[in-house]
Amino acid sequence: MLKKLSLKIVLLLVLLIVLNFVYKTWFYESDLQKNAELINLVRAVPNDADIVYIGESSNITFRGDDIDKRPISAFIGDYFPGLKTYDITKPASHAGIYKVLLENIPVESKVKTIVVTLNLRSFDAQWIYSNLETSLQKSLVLIKPYPPLFNRFLLSFKVFDIKSDSERVKEYRAKWAEDEFHMPGNFQFRNVIEWDRWMSNNGIKDSNGNYDLPQTDLACHFIKSFGFQLDTLKNPRISDFNAIIELARKRNWNLVFNLLAENTGKAGELVGNDLTDLMNENVQILENYYSRKGVVVVNNLNQVGNDQFVDQNWTTEHYAELGRRTVAKNVALALKHWYGDFYKEVHCDSRYQTSFFNDCDKGIIWGQMQTLTTDMAHSGEKSSMTGAGNDYSITFEYPLKVIPDSLKKTINVEFWLHQPSLNHDAKLVIQASGQGFHDYWNGYDIKSIVKDINVWARYNISISVPDSIKQADLIKIYVLNQSKEKIYIDDFKILVRD
Amino acid sequence: MEKFHEKRFKLPILLVSLISNLGLLFFFKYYNFASENLNLLFDKIGIQQDIPLMNFLLPVGISFYTFQTLSYSIDVYFGRQKAEKHLGYFALYVSFFPQLVAGPIERFSRLTPQLKEKHLFSYDNLVNGLRLIIFGFFIKMVIADNLSGIVDEIYAAPEKFSSLEILKGLLFYSFQIYSDFSGYSLIAIGSARIMGIRLMDNFNTPYLAKNISEFWQRWHISLSTWFRDYLYFPLGGNRVAKTRWVFNILVVFVVSGVWHGANWTFLIWGALFGVIYLIESALNKLLKIEREYTPYSFGHISLAVKTFIIVTFIWVFFRSQSFAEAINIFKLLYNNIGFAGAKLIIPGYLWVFFLTFIASDFLLYNKRFDVWLGNVPAIGRWTVYGFLIFSIIVYAGIENFPFIYFQF
Repeated sequence: MLKKLSLKIVLLLVLLIVLNFVYKTWFYESDLQKNAELINLVRAVPNDADIVYIGESSNITFRGDDIDKRPISAFIGDYFPGLKTYDITKPASHAGIYKVLLENIPVESKVKTIVVTLNLRSFDAQWIYSNLETSLQKSLVLIKPYPPLFNRFLLSFKVFDIKSDSERVKEYRAKWAEDEFHMPGNFQFRNVIEWDRWMSNNGIKDSNGNYDLPQTDLACHFIKSFGFQLDTLKNPRISDFNAIIELARKRNWNLVFNLLAENTGKAGELVGNDLTDLMNENVQILENYYSRKGVVVVNNLNQVGNDQFVDQNWTTEHYAELGRRTVAKNVALALKHWYGDFYKEVHCDSRYQTSFFNDCDKGIIWGQMQTLTTDMAHSGEKSSMTGAGNDYSITFEYPLKVIPDSLKKTINVEFWLHQPSLNHDAKLVIQASGQGFHDYWNGYDIKSIVKDINVWARYNISISVPDSIKQADLIKIYVLNQSKEKIYIDDFKILVRD
Repeated sequence: MEKFHEKRFKLPILLVSLISNLGLLFFFKYYNFASENLNLLFDKIGIQQDIPLMNFLLPVGISFYTFQTLSYSIDVYFGRQKAEKHLGYFALYVSFFPQLVAGPIERFSRLTPQLKEKHLFSYDNLVNGLRLIIFGFFIKMVIADNLSGIVDEIYAAPEKFSSLEILKGLLFYSFQIYSDFSGYSLIAIGSARIMGIRLMDNFNTPYLAKNISEFWQRWHISLSTWFRDYLYFPLGGNRVAKTRWVFNILVVFVVSGVWHGANWTFLIWGALFGVIYLIESALNKLLKIEREYTPYSFGHISLAVKTFIIVTFIWVFFRSQSFAEAINIFKLLYNNIGFAGAKLIIPGYLWVFFLTFIASDFLLYNKRFDVWLGNVPAIGRWTVYGFLIFSIIVYAGIENFPFIYFQF
């Protein structure tokens, strides 16, 4: 019987090897594109890259009035023009995700240095047990370092961290209850739940002494996001970063942890020094812990001022241009350690641009980037799809006031569009807002200018800039299409001229 | 109960057992349904009485193991079964893990002797058990789970679709529920088989049944035989006056519907089966349609198609959340003829698997998959293994699809 059983096991193994070959050859790639699209982020990094910056939304988020909307990684690249700097950016991700993505950088790649975003908030229970985790973990299964058929097996049988939203909430509530503070002096709260409850009950008062709900909410967010004492032995994020260190050691990479700035100014103002001390203490623990392991840790915690935080009612690490530049400069200074010869000082003047172009392909970040699609394109592979629920096209945003008045008499807008019919009332919209004037909105009919259907056609219009909006903090230009007809927009060009 | 010979002593004990078992079932499963309906009734007749609703979690598998314990008590009462003195064996009978959650509903006399036997590792048990498990996974994960999304789309917004698309949705639901439940049963039977325990078959190609009576001999066999033995026969079966027999049939089908869930839709679902059963019986007596047909003959297939169509329409009540939703489906089936509505997106591979599943049902008519496969030459057998393993791994639905019958 044993012989019979052994023979069958061998046969089964042979069968699995054959099936793995079949899957890998004919099915794997389409499955990757369907279920693990984030592999494309890694594939976009060429093998001859020198520096790879890996991070979450902090890298790419900008504020509408930023003159330069490029990500932190691009600003770092400015300091090293002789080197090739690329980024892998996956919003809402963390060290556990970075590790799997970094494992997928091909061994033949010549990457020398990896800059990993280290987000203090990601060590908090609410992020560790975030409801986004199930979909994130699901998207990683197919790119794990196992045979493709085995990965697909794990995906089919849901062998990943799969939990419902309510289970996640239970998990972080339990963690909050379990983790008690051990603070010097008479700290009045046993754990973060008590602290949050106290803040919620007492609230932040406005100038009239009334309960200020938005500010109280924000204070509670700060407490829930940063009210923890880091345990380097138990916190799962620590082991995720340790795994990255191990991987870097194996691959011979220089490793930098970019510890992101938090809005400590606001946290101190709303919650007090207890919280900011805790944040600084945790950061110190991280800095010491990883420095001892040979990692260069760039501590940005207190480096960005409140005015540079994009989200003023939420605890995020989304910075306006100056904030991103500050973080980038600190990282660049750390990178000098290896790339001193390549380092070039960057002077960030109050420059302005008058010519803008987005071909929807080269990663130039405007608003409404989620409308990009590969359905069709005038050039390259992508265009912006409007209509059928997508009311807004990719949106140009710029602080118009930074351009001298003499150079902004006219705005010339040109783009290519593909419309299936004329059954729509799509408009080109110019919208302006700012302090000291009424919001401006003007729509220009599209179908009266372009009547061709089912072909790519050029739309061009010149608009005089009204004096009233010349000092706008923010001007937005986009196509508004509230109809059911899908209109595709590509190669969007804007020229501000005298 | 076993110690007493006189009914006056035995009966109270049986009643305690029945009341406690059915009481628990009622409390967890039907309390809210009864309260809601009583509140509605009180409202209608103007009584100011609000029976509170409870927010209970339904204990997993309660309908299944309650029926197992009921059958045990009744069998001991009638002397058909010796009382079990070993609590461990009784507990194992009630909670034997492969069939705990959704059956098959086993009888004490069949399962416990097997549990008491000494089981040595058997190659045949392992192979046959694995064959059943792998086929169960295939029909659950590849057929049922892939059909699930399409059926959900239809039931979420049926008004968007033409009659033809709705019909496709109904057709797919018939196969979804069949493959979902029979897939689970095969996995349960296969798991037990590996340990040397033979559970009863729960399905036998029910969509090839020639009439509703035969359908219920082939669908959820462990439940239908339970109702036959513990409800239909005690009510007198067919050895009673005609009107009483009609009553018996309707009671059995209605109770069987309500067993599935606390909702009027299940009651109507069961009642409809009862009514069609009675109509078919009457027609058969009148027109003598029923006779022995050679399997796969034109007569057999025609009658099977007829039965399948009836069952498919009755499933609408089972799948709908409310009576109004079910009626709406039927209205739209008529109203949306020729309506150019949304189209269901059915990937090509799903059609291939769907047709393969139908073909396998024809192939396995009155046969068991493990036995059938054992008679296929090695090369063919391993080709089937390869096909099943590959399909399960590569084409399984990757969303979360719990077994439909786990909710009962």
